[in-house]
Amino acid sequence: MSDVRRILEIAELTVAKPGGGAPELDRFSLTLDAGESVVVLGETGSGKEALVRVLGGFADRTDQIAGTIRFGDGEARPAAKRPRAPIRIAYLPKPSPRSFVPHVGVLGQLTRVVARKLGSPLASAGEELRLALERLEGAPAPALLNVKPRLLDPVCMAWGLLACACAQTPDLVLADHALADLGPKAVRTLLAVLAAEQKRLGFALLYATGGLQPAARLGGRVVVIRRGRIVEEGDAARLASGHAHGYTQTLYKAIPRLSLAESKGRAAARGQPLLQVFGLDLVATGRREGITFELRRGASLALVGEEGSGRRELVRAVLGLARAPAGRVVFDAVDLNILSQAMASRLRRRVAFITGADDALDPRMTLWDTVDEPLRAHLKLPRDLVAGYREAALKRVGLASHDGRRTVASLGAFDKRRLQVARAIVAAPLLAVVDEPLRGLDAFAQTIMREVLTDFRAQQDSAFLVVTSDFTVAQALADEAMVFKDKKLVERGLIVDILRSPKDPHTSGLIEAVTLPGLSQNPPPV
Amino acid sequence: MSAIDTAPAPVLRSFLRLVGWSGLGLIAVAVTLSDFLAPAPAGASGLGPLLAAPSTLHPFGTDLLGRDVLSETLHGLSVTVGRALLASAVAIAVGGLFGAVAARLPRAAGATLRAAMGVFAAIPALLLALLAIGLTARLYAPLAAGLAAAPLAFVRTHDRVAAQRRSAHAEYARAMGIAAATLLRRDLIYEFRDTFATVAARALAAVTIILSTVSFLGFGATPPARDLGLMIAAAKTSYLYAWWAAAFPALALVVLILCARLAAGLEEGERP
Repeated sequence: MSDVRRILEIAELTVAKPGGGAPELDRFSLTLDAGESVVVLGETGSGKEALVRVLGGFADRTDQIAGTIRFGDGEARPAAKRPRAPIRIAYLPKPSPRSFVPHVGVLGQLTRVVARKLGSPLASAGEELRLALERLEGAPAPALLNVKPRLLDPVCMAWGLLACACAQTPDLVLADHALADLGPKAVRTLLAVLAAEQKRLGFALLYATGGLQPAARLGGRVVVIRRGRIVEEGDAARLASGHAHGYTQTLYKAIPRLSLAESKGRAAARGQPLLQVFGLDLVATGRREGITFELRRGASLALVGEEGSGRRELVRAVLGLARAPAGRVVFDAVDLNILSQAMASRLRRRVAFITGADDALDPRMTLWDTVDEPLRAHLKLPRDLVAGYREAALKRVGLASHDGRRTVASLGAFDKRRLQVARAIVAAPLLAVVDEPLRGLDAFAQTIMREVLTDFRAQQDSAFLVVTSDFTVAQALADEAMVFKDKKLVERGLIVDILRSPKDPHTSGLIEAVTLPGLSQNPPPV
Repeated sequence: MSAIDTAPAPVLRSFLRLVGWSGLGLIAVAVTLSDFLAPAPAGASGLGPLLAAPSTLHPFGTDLLGRDVLSETLHGLSVTVGRALLASAVAIAVGGLFGAVAARLPRAAGATLRAAMGVFAAIPALLLALLAIGLTARLYAPLAAGLAAAPLAFVRTHDRVAAQRRSAHAEYARAMGIAAATLLRRDLIYEFRDTFATVAARALAAVTIILSTVSFLGFGATPPARDLGLMIAAAKTSYLYAWWAAAFPALALVVLILCARLAAGLEEGERP
């Protein structure tokens, strides 16, 4: 034991908010050796946020903190004091524009971080960062990072942040939901690179997450926490095998798995065509090789691909929100391109959106108003009828117990997501566009969200257009799929067929990304 | 709390706002009861010796015509507040309402209006007010002050509403076929609810400054209705040897403007 360097020792760490209530983190103890990785797994609000806050040294001033933390060979200090660690700690935040100053290029900001952590001049820090980026296999060129945070796509940003952390030659890397919002394929690649860098540099890794993918892919120890307390701590493989605490078991059971069995589902070919797309081009190539497809009433189609692969452009073009360079879209037997804005807007009343974007709802509106709006805007219904529909919809998504006069801004990401579904339900849409519905949610919320969406699909006769990078989501909500890469259609067909024999290497990559190692490939429990 | 900045305001800022609103409340009481609070009726001269220093009988002293400065300040304050309220109503109605609507106009029209108003907002409001008074008559000074303060209100409101229009949630609402009129109504209601108090307090401060300056220059209030600006102007000849006749009205003016600014939340950084 004595030959491995102890990096972190947390003893009895308790974090509480003023004003009583249960503490966010309750007597949490953890040790971490060099080269070891620990995944702290818990839902939003389970206390992992508090842990990262305290370790990262940016605790709120109002936090009441007790317990001690010992970094490296230093002595144990009260956790409430700002850590003055004798070791180098690199912080790996979420790849979101919020992690950056908005007006300065990302590369410059990362360089500054490296320079400050290493105490070196900017030029040499920039060189370190460049070398780190080059070392990471598959990382973008440094020049690509030299744009403002808002314009950088999250995957590139994640690469940059990872390179920045590695360039600091840290003793401890503190990853805070580092890859939560990315597609499964990107997550898989980045986690593999992170693991390789850990082996090379020998740093200890503390990875706080709500998703199971890091736990399954990084291996090492997993600490499951719930309501501030450790439920279970153990080897990742053991927890996955099912010999675990009941809570952990439910967690792992809920992991979606791809099923190769024939879908019992709704026949794709029923009813009249709802949406017909002829020769739609996403990029102006001049050649006539656009996308042609048809979506019948009540059918459902998944557009699978990574961020920036053209799925969203296709949806926008299909709904007449943006005009595609070439092609024709017929929605409900009307050509969208020849309609005026007002008429197109009338047609779109029968379209509902459920997206993974948290700003899709007006933050100023109340919960009830948000659900009522489609009803009130489109139909002149009496109040009590509206209230009845609203109640029914909120019950189905599990928000009925919330105070309806709360504003949307006060809701969490999961509640907002469910509220979007409720808003879609009352609109009784002909077409529901579901766009990365699980993005950024923790594993627990994802499970419920999946159920809510499958329930929505089962109960309503809407056609579904599912935009996702995750084949498990595609399979849960759709029968057919089109796979996109670089704004081109690479493969299409029934999802079961695609899963059995993917024709394109890109498709197999996407499928592998959601096939987690060490987990039995059971069909999903229905 | 404004709609865009949803983070809770720091304690100090909300405390200052509270101070501002309490001050405005006290001033409102003083203005409504000015006829009872003031020892002498408005414009009553020869109540004591000319230019008497502050004493127990005349706490603020007397002016050149032997008027009680305390009574005159109270009456002047009420005239100033009355005219400023009228002017801010004009500023808010013209600037705020039109700004919100302009943000929803077709893009080219809205942008042109915004650019024109931006130019006006860049001109010192005092000059605009003098221009408006010159074009009309000085009876309309409150109207002119309101119009002069309107461009700034227009620009602020326009930019806030335009940001809402460009926001993701508005786009999703449009994609679900929710009509532009519904969205405009929604924005107006929330804008009004979230920012009316701030906008009103800020407009009050702005027009008070304009109105008083205009009066001081002699283009504003006409005797016998004397507002604070006119009082300061009248007392300026005697200021060097009888400071009280000018200083107390000026103090009242400073307190009024300061309270309005504090109530508006000192949001200078928010400028477009």
